[in-house]
Amino acid sequence: MTAALTGDPATVPAAAPPTALRRALPLLAAPVAFFVAFFAVPMVVVLSSSLMAGGAPSLANYARVLLDQYHWDVLAVTFRIAALTTLAVTLLGYPLAYYLVRVVSSNALRRSCVILLLLPLFTSNIVRSFGWMILLGRNGLVNDTLVGIGLLDRPVRFLGTETGIVIGLVYILLPFIVLAVGNALATVDPTLEEASADLGSSPFTTFWTVTFPLCLPGLIAGVIMVFTLAASAYVTPALLSGGKITVFPMLIFQQYSTVFDVHYGGALSITLLVVTLVLVALAGRIGNGGGNRS
Amino acid sequence: MPPALLSIRDLGKHFGGFHALKGVSLEVEHGEFIALLGPSGCGKTTLLRCIAGFLTPDSGDIRIGGDSVTRLPPHRRPLNTVFQNYALFPHMSVLDNIAYGPRRHGVPRGEAAERAAQALQLVGLEALGARYPRELSGGQQQRVALARAVVNRPKLLLLDEPLSALDMKLRKRMQIELKHLQEKLGIAFVFVTHDQEEAMSMADRIVVMNRGLIEQVGSGTAVYATPATRFVAEFIGEANFLPGAADGDGGLRLAFGTAAVPHPGPGASTGIGTGAGQSRTGVLRPEHLELLDRADAPGFLTERGIVEDVINTGGQTLVMVRVGDALLASRRLGMPGAGLGRGTQVVVGFRPEHLHVVAGEPAP
Repeated sequence: MTAALTGDPATVPAAAPPTALRRALPLLAAPVAFFVAFFAVPMVVVLSSSLMAGGAPSLANYARVLLDQYHWDVLAVTFRIAALTTLAVTLLGYPLAYYLVRVVSSNALRRSCVILLLLPLFTSNIVRSFGWMILLGRNGLVNDTLVGIGLLDRPVRFLGTETGIVIGLVYILLPFIVLAVGNALATVDPTLEEASADLGSSPFTTFWTVTFPLCLPGLIAGVIMVFTLAASAYVTPALLSGGKITVFPMLIFQQYSTVFDVHYGGALSITLLVVTLVLVALAGRIGNGGGNRS
Repeated sequence: MPPALLSIRDLGKHFGGFHALKGVSLEVEHGEFIALLGPSGCGKTTLLRCIAGFLTPDSGDIRIGGDSVTRLPPHRRPLNTVFQNYALFPHMSVLDNIAYGPRRHGVPRGEAAERAAQALQLVGLEALGARYPRELSGGQQQRVALARAVVNRPKLLLLDEPLSALDMKLRKRMQIELKHLQEKLGIAFVFVTHDQEEAMSMADRIVVMNRGLIEQVGSGTAVYATPATRFVAEFIGEANFLPGAADGDGGLRLAFGTAAVPHPGPGASTGIGTGAGQSRTGVLRPEHLELLDRADAPGFLTERGIVEDVINTGGQTLVMVRVGDALLASRRLGMPGAGLGRGTQVVVGFRPEHLHVVAGEPAP
């Protein structure tokens, strides 16, 4: 994964001489301080509070999380939603990225499309999820349309189903995969595709043997980003679940905001983090093998 | 008579308002080495891309072995291309890159690998099959690109300025290697270049292009000795241009010397009339303009002039002589003599049979 993300080793600068390093240190101070203050410290706080119970170090919080079947069920729902969301986003986003980068020939049109794609990101998640609550309701636009054109006999229930949550998440996360894949596609030299055609590949074969493998690192980066965001999403599932479905971030939120049990909540957070990291690492390993990078 | 390997009829191509090809016709025979030569923007790369199928011409027809391929997509055309930037697949090893073509044509994996190894041997890189393209030098990448193209045994290979990214020494060596490879394989090469020396030293025939048109097709000797147009004379090698006019009496009045030159002479390009007063340009290569001892040297057309510059180009000496308004170049073998310097009064002259006449006036 790391190899795929950092790309060509030739572009990594050689080790700098000591004097250059000394000169660079003050420059590094700000980002390092930022990282420590806003990423490392909170992580340590959450981790250490999760390892405390009744004022003493203990693994009791983890026992509570891991020995309860309910938590495993919620984890299963959470990652099922995340996986379905990632799949749907990829299937929608990849062709869209390909279209924007390779098919649209006018720069102005491409730029407008990208802006259109990014515009919703400027709105709050809450507002957008409320929007979907209205659209997906029993008498919402989606049901009305599907019934109106005769695809459905009567309205189906979206709110309070995993499908509804997936629809909301797909909408919110689509730009991420389009940007990741689009960037990767834009760096694939079109002469490579010409060379492939010249050597006898149909456009279909060219795509699968040249274009797709070359933008796989970008796709994997996008997939990981979308998957982790979907697994840790709170607002969208909370609003679209209608109280009928629980995902793991909702459990964490309850502990911190309602029960005020930072120890138990911390253990839940770390559990979600570790499971997500393990899944991402597995995906990264698979992707790396498929990418054929030496 | 069997049809030509490649036959191009009246090819036209626009890019917006830019007329890249204005009716180009060309035939290439089996095993021929053709160089498409011209300045940037002359249409040579457009022509090559039309042949390869990456561009669809607006008009005209391209036939390979008698069959029209004008509407065929690139992957169905029986030819291969060596790209200017080599276009090696970065995610495949050298051997996989070369085996890519045979694999696409249904050759089993093992046999494709074997053929790739042979092709790699052909370009002298048999030890590097497991490497990735980015681990190779420019010259090595060039050879791999060549191997990847010839492994398919095409009858026609297109090369788009394949040597332009290499340094001078390597380039000279690759020119010779390419030529030998071409002769050994018997594949017809259509080679795009803007380097006239490269074209001269490698090609059987040179196609000189300018502004979307073919100016002349001929051997290196022919385009050098008997350029069809002033553009060709200017583009290929160095030349002195002497303004003149037809005297309508089978002679040519030049702004050089007093005698008329027979016109059109044996070396004149065909198709130019003999009408009186029509402007002509005499093309004289620097090696044919000689420094003489006396103004009445027999068989020479002479003028007096003043030396402006003596340039030693390594084994050859270029003497720039001012004759009236014109600055003429004279080249000869050897080092500059002692008595020759700026301001020296000299007599320059040439034998009329070395003058080649084209239509039109010299460029200002």
